[in-house]
Amino acid sequence: MLRRFFTFALPLAALSAAAPAASQDSARPPLARPPLVFTGIPDQDESRLVERFGKVATYLEARLGVPVRYIPVKNYPAAVTAFTNGQVQLAWFGGFTGVQARKAVPGSQAIAQGAEDAAFKTYLIANARTGLAKAPEFPLGVAGKTFTFGSRASTSGRLMPEYFIRQAFPGKTPETVFSRVGFSGDHSRTIQVVQSGAFEVGAVDYSVWDLDTKAGKVDAGAVSVIWESPAFPDYQWTVRSDVEKAYGAGFTEKLRQALVGIADPAILEPFGRTKFIAVDNAAYDPLIAVGQSTGLLD
Amino acid sequence: MAEPAIRLAGASASYGGRVVLHGVDLTIRRGERVALMGRSGAGKSTLIGLIQAHAPGEVALVPQAAALVRTLSVFHNVYMGRLDRRSILHNLRTLALPARADLDAVAAVLARVGLSEHLRSKAGALSGGQQQRVSVARALYNGRPILVGDEPVSALDRQQGGAVLAEMARTHETLVLALHDVALALEHAGRIVVLNAGRIVLDAPARDLDGAALAPFYETAA
Amino acid sequence: MSALRLPRPGYAALSRWFLAGALAALLVADLHVASLNPWADLRRLLGGLVRPDFLSVEGWSVVYTVAFAVLGVGLGAGAGFLLAIPFARSRTVRGVCAFLRAIHELFWALLLMQVFGLSATTGILAIALPYAGICAKVYSEIIDEADLSALRVLPAGTGAVSAFLYARLPDVAASFRHYTLYRFECGMRSTLVLGFIGLPTMGFHLESAFRQGRYGEAAALLLVFYALIGSRRLWVRGATLPVLALASLLALPETVGATDVGASLVRFLTHDIVPAPLRNADVLDLAALARLWAWFRPILTDQVLPGAGQTLVLAQIALVATAIGALALFPLTARRFSGRLGRPAGRLLLVVVRSTPEYMLAYVALQLLGPSMLPAILALAIHNAGIVGFLLGRHADDLAYRADAPTGLNLYAYETVPRLYGQFLAYLLYRWEIILRESAIFGILGVATLGFYVDAAISELRLDVAAVLILATALMAIGIDALSRALRRALRIDTLPTRLSAPLPGATSP
Repeated sequence: MLRRFFTFALPLAALSAAAPAASQDSARPPLARPPLVFTGIPDQDESRLVERFGKVATYLEARLGVPVRYIPVKNYPAAVTAFTNGQVQLAWFGGFTGVQARKAVPGSQAIAQGAEDAAFKTYLIANARTGLAKAPEFPLGVAGKTFTFGSRASTSGRLMPEYFIRQAFPGKTPETVFSRVGFSGDHSRTIQVVQSGAFEVGAVDYSVWDLDTKAGKVDAGAVSVIWESPAFPDYQWTVRSDVEKAYGAGFTEKLRQALVGIADPAILEPFGRTKFIAVDNAAYDPLIAVGQSTGLLD
Repeated sequence: MAEPAIRLAGASASYGGRVVLHGVDLTIRRGERVALMGRSGAGKSTLIGLIQAHAPGEVALVPQAAALVRTLSVFHNVYMGRLDRRSILHNLRTLALPARADLDAVAAVLARVGLSEHLRSKAGALSGGQQQRVSVARALYNGRPILVGDEPVSALDRQQGGAVLAEMARTHETLVLALHDVALALEHAGRIVVLNAGRIVLDAPARDLDGAALAPFYETAA
Repeated sequence: MSALRLPRPGYAALSRWFLAGALAALLVADLHVASLNPWADLRRLLGGLVRPDFLSVEGWSVVYTVAFAVLGVGLGAGAGFLLAIPFARSRTVRGVCAFLRAIHELFWALLLMQVFGLSATTGILAIALPYAGICAKVYSEIIDEADLSALRVLPAGTGAVSAFLYARLPDVAASFRHYTLYRFECGMRSTLVLGFIGLPTMGFHLESAFRQGRYGEAAALLLVFYALIGSRRLWVRGATLPVLALASLLALPETVGATDVGASLVRFLTHDIVPAPLRNADVLDLAALARLWAWFRPILTDQVLPGAGQTLVLAQIALVATAIGALALFPLTARRFSGRLGRPAGRLLLVVVRSTPEYMLAYVALQLLGPSMLPAILALAIHNAGIVGFLLGRHADDLAYRADAPTGLNLYAYETVPRLYGQFLAYLLYRWEIILRESAIFGILGVATLGFYVDAAISELRLDVAAVLILATALMAIGIDALSRALRRALRIDTLPTRLSAPLPGATSP
């Protein structure tokens, strides 16, 4: 109970003293290991997030020998914020949020991605009432319809579809192409609102589409995929550089090996991934260019 | 003798355990002009209330406080005297768009109390005496045969008060008025009822009384 | 049109302006119902609401909700009390307080989160900062209105502290207590809403439950929340306060992972919210100023102005809808209209309505009706009409009607409403600023008000842009507050009670 009090009082004291050097790393004795805290962008139904990250926490704790805690957040920017202000040291980011986070925290690294993330895809989905059918080319018939992205900071639900839309309609923005543009918040919600007809067309992460289809949440008569995007890099695990100081040199590599070594289908299945593979920051450079071209990144 | 308009038998009332009326018997016949008199606290207002509650469908009331809606016009305040006899729709319409006939009728009543130029004034903007006359006009416009008033001319000078009392008598068959001005009461009432400490202590025709006879019950105890 | 010349030019003219403003706003408002089948969702919602699932309620979230509210309101009210003393004399203090309260607690939370992370500190300060500004203003008003006669007869040479304790505090203590208890109720609602952005209060689970359609859990959470609010007089008392405060401190959630507060604060203040062109630039550098203007102009034209316009449109419609709703609802709680049996039921209804945070109402309406201004209008109108209607009902019960007053609709139209109209306008003008702040916040839910752009800026990690937008929101709220005060003074209704907690004359205080 006392500890709880101090976790509240300490930040306040630091605030009043405005002491910029109140770093927890130097204040702690070297042997008492603070927990490794991680988060993930809430890209789909929360119950699935709790399941997948709970399993990852247990696994990492056993492999790394340090306490590992998962902290849930309510939206994408909150995950990036938790990473930038040091509340979490590790995060499962989307392509774009990862780029944002690594830009804000110099020295942080992308260490592992899903095997599928090297060539990720966005699906454009449409309500059956629109009459839009699946086509190999970008469906120009979506113009004038109502359209929903996922989260504003989503790669497969915002950044890439916006990029493809701008390419298909040169000189136009999504706001001018569609009669209405919304942000559903996450991919599961995108599927729901297009299925219900609240929006006619939407952009969704293909892996969430597959997971929700398998889970029986998609009514094939009401909503269907009308276009598959070209491939782009997406989700990845990103870690802060200060883990080396907190858990010893080489910890970043140890963490990467732990993630790449996940073989248990029970952990991988809720991610919709077959395995994790090593990756580096450079793999996401294409997204930086896309982010800058759409104005989402400075 | 005319039939009784009001008949109270053994009427009692108390507020918070304090008895203010002790078994009052009072019969008022149609056509009578009754002045209720007595010191403040004698029970006049309570008796007025009982009389009004006794025959609400026949009474036009002038309450002690003018009880106007200050934010509405004089016209609307007077018009309220007949709200119960008009359709709701008509009443709602009158709030925004009064009918010519209603405006004329209310203007005529206002002329009787000397307020014809104030038809459209805001009631809250009038002086105390004017507000009291609006309250009287509301009762006159109400038109029910028994006019019951609690100090209806207290804020007017004796001459204006007399004129207003005469107007009341002109159109209402029966008058029951609590008054404190002895001269006005003797001049305008046919019957004087004096209350003291919740009991009727004098009930006599006005012609049999004079100021001196009423003084002990009425003027300050000193 | 002589017959239309209404007898109360001030009130009527103001009402007409506001009505005309709302009608004009309706022309440009987006009222499209996007959800093609809201009834299916609504049916599932109601089905869940009648079968609350109390076992699924996360007990600690209830504790955290109370703890955040107790400490946040306690800290805010304490700071407000200290600020109230120089409030009347110091323009600076008034300015600081106006600024603190002009920023919605959700915006405060979004900013504080950058530094303190998802922690108790963020939750408590997000409540305490704006509440300090509000409490300072109201406490100062209470002190100003206090009866000073006792102060004047104190012997010359009585010390300031003694004078305050003997001649001032006793007179204002009851009002302070009432107001602070009311603030606590607001604080509970605010704390709940903070859960929607990730703090571990009941709102966290409520958001998940609504999002995933677990309506039984949502209903249970709401019922627990109503019970907490409804019973607050029983457990928030002078005697229980020290226990509550201590227990709240001990019960605060442990922060998972510690943020480096010092470094984060420095980065936040010297980098994140500094306009991008000025970072690492000399302040007096003309080229930097030109870049600053080039940076600021599109923010002004593409975000601030359209966002402010939509915020005003939403606030205007919601204000008039609130007015209509309040006039329709208050008879439910007034003795003359609803009768001995109807009144308690009416009161219960309005207490439930006003206890439900408008942000949550909007969130639910948005799920049902799709993203347009309609859910926001409904939420604001329902919540505020509940509050204003409840208060008007109490005033209606205090009116002294004449013995032969009419009944029913005639009483309503000729006696009650005209007499309450000044009070009614006073409450509405007072709520105006609050409705505006909420209108801005609803942007986070997808209506294109200022909050919409704040949400976008934060998503793009452009905190400098977010800061500009939040500042614009604050300036609008301050402007509306000043306009509201000027109008109240012009109509001479500035002396009527507008503090929603103010004990009414004749009302029994507990």
